[in-house]
Amino acid sequence: MGRIVLDKVSKSFGETEVIPPLDLTIEDGEFAVFVGPSGCGKSTLLRLIAGLEDATSGKVIIDDEDVTQVSPSKRGLAMVFQSYALYPHMTVRKNIAFPLRMAKMSQSEMNQRVEQAAGILNLADYLDKKPGQLSGGQRQRVAIGRAIVREPSAFLFDEPLSNLDAALRVGMRLEIGELHQRLKTTMIYVTHDQVEAMTMADKIVVLQAGVIEQVGSPLELYRTPRNRFVAGFIGSPKMNFIGGDEAAKHGAHEIGIRPEHIAVANGSGAWSGVVGVSEHLGSDTFFHVHDTGLAETITVRADGEVSLNAGDRIDLAPREDVIHKFDAQGMRIA
Amino acid sequence: MSDRKLPRLLQAPAVILLLIWMLVPLSMTLYFSFIRYVLNNLRRPEWTKPLPSNWRGFGNYEFVWNNKDFWLAIQNSLLIVGSIIILTVTLGILIAVLINRAFPGRGIVRVLLISPFFVMPAVNAVLWINMILDPVLGLQGLAVDGINQLIVSLQTAPGVGWFFSLWPQLEPISFRATQTSAYAVIIMVTWQWTPFAVLIFMTSLQSEDQQQKEAAILDGAGAWSQFRFLTLPHLGRPIAIVVMIQAIFHLSLYAEIEIVSRGNGNKNLPYLIGEFANNNIGAASATGIFAVILANIVAIFLLRMIGKTLME
Ligand SMILES: Nc1ncnc2c1ncn2[C@@H]1O[C@H](COP(=O)(O)OP(=O)(O)OP(=O)(O)O)[C@@H](O)[C@H]1O
Ligand SMILES: [Mg+2]
Repeated sequence: MGRIVLDKVSKSFGETEVIPPLDLTIEDGEFAVFVGPSGCGKSTLLRLIAGLEDATSGKVIIDDEDVTQVSPSKRGLAMVFQSYALYPHMTVRKNIAFPLRMAKMSQSEMNQRVEQAAGILNLADYLDKKPGQLSGGQRQRVAIGRAIVREPSAFLFDEPLSNLDAALRVGMRLEIGELHQRLKTTMIYVTHDQVEAMTMADKIVVLQAGVIEQVGSPLELYRTPRNRFVAGFIGSPKMNFIGGDEAAKHGAHEIGIRPEHIAVANGSGAWSGVVGVSEHLGSDTFFHVHDTGLAETITVRADGEVSLNAGDRIDLAPREDVIHKFDAQGMRIA
Repeated sequence: MSDRKLPRLLQAPAVILLLIWMLVPLSMTLYFSFIRYVLNNLRRPEWTKPLPSNWRGFGNYEFVWNNKDFWLAIQNSLLIVGSIIILTVTLGILIAVLINRAFPGRGIVRVLLISPFFVMPAVNAVLWINMILDPVLGLQGLAVDGINQLIVSLQTAPGVGWFFSLWPQLEPISFRATQTSAYAVIIMVTWQWTPFAVLIFMTSLQSEDQQQKEAAILDGAGAWSQFRFLTLPHLGRPIAIVVMIQAIFHLSLYAEIEIVSRGNGNKNLPYLIGEFANNNIGAASATGIFAVILANIVAIFLLRMIGKTLME
């Protein structure tokens, strides 16, 4: 079990309120991702759940039990830190066994659990090495191993992949996803990378300055962002925002359209402009288009085959059905 | 090859200077330890010159080995160095862990804690032996006197008098007596060098990884387990440094022993060398070579021990 409920939880450091009172429910077995820009309070929220920070007010409830005053080790949660936080003087085996040793488990059961975790995480060959002798990805796996041997009711990950290179990150992302399917344990995952959030989450929680902007499945957030902030944060490249007359035509203060929803038309688009920088990814090409009279630049996703040079004129055809409309407060107009 | 010559040439002065610096005194000591060489001898004036014709072989070593004070001096050297190291490291870790937390007035407490280290060794010894440890005039004498008077006055109290009349009179300890003078030296040097240990350990504690601690808390480690499995291994290297440096310094303690007891019953090797050197340079040199051997044994022993127990 691992149903986590935050009931009007808030956190202040001295005078500054980092997290205003906030409600959130994470269902048992769910993979929840907290995303938001740097400094928005993601780590703080995770540490509140773990018990490493005391809530200034409100309640943390795990499986219908109020654990606000319960010490971190008694909450049955395991955490994986961004810096891995492995114990440098112990071998991998001792690192993974440490929580079991603290729980005074018998040696034979300890060995069995360590071997099992090492098997799942492909660590069997490294059990007698020290953390200093491992690569970043291996260290991350040890940290995860140390978390899973405890069989916690939920896992908390604080940007576990941000120290890895891009290729490894994609690999570890899949591994964590597979681990979740296998263990079916609640996982809360903090990241500021919206791609990680989109690919891994059952439920995304978008935070800004300690306030929850929207909670929903990745596609809900992509299709119906509740406000301009979420619309700009989810999706890559960023959504194009257009104000002024064009927005007024749609009866909105501002409209937004994703780069993938604008087609390159030959001579018959609603909009037109001049190509600036093009980014070729192979499968896709992103054009940054200037002088459209709509906004500074409009980003357009085109097929990888389309080839245009800087300075070429380009006609654009936006898909009318997926234009997002926002009012003066930045809220979505249905 | 030629591109190697210039750097070597440039290094040469430093290397040669260092060699002279170390080799000259060492070889002179070695040489003196094998000849008869005294400063003053009216009957055999030829012994007052360090000449090869005064060759004595291992005679000086034999003489020192059979001296009644030699084994006492070695035992005392080890007792004093070992006790000081154990006490300073234990106290140092305790104090460093305590003042590593935030509390009001931490800055002042830290400065006060470091200050004993700036007292000169001779002054330190004079202060301790006269003002604190003296059985009559020192703090010790006053405290023992005060307790005794309190007990005496309680003995006449109604009801509980019989209880206190069974108590003994406390005797102040004389730290100038033969054995206890070594303890006095241990106490005063421990007081002076604990700040050194605190300083080194405190610096090291500040570089301790906080996330490791948080991970350990979540793993269910209590305060003791965190200390045992994280802090102590983290302090392994600083402890080794503190032990080594103190071993080097305290094997050559002299001033404190001179001031506390003038070597009465409490000599260490340097003090014995000093006594020999009043006249018998040959014996003093032989003792010096023994001291070098002892220092090396101690160093190897300490390195092994620290390496095994703390680095896991
Ligand atoms: N111990 C602390 N004392 C005072 N302020 C703090 C403390 N810890 C965090 N803060 C503040 O709280 C805010 C949120 O910090 P937090 O670490 O939760 O951000 P984050 O969303 O995890 O950012 P990042 O993506 O950079 O890790 C920041 O403005 C930070 O300055
Ligand atoms: Mg963070």
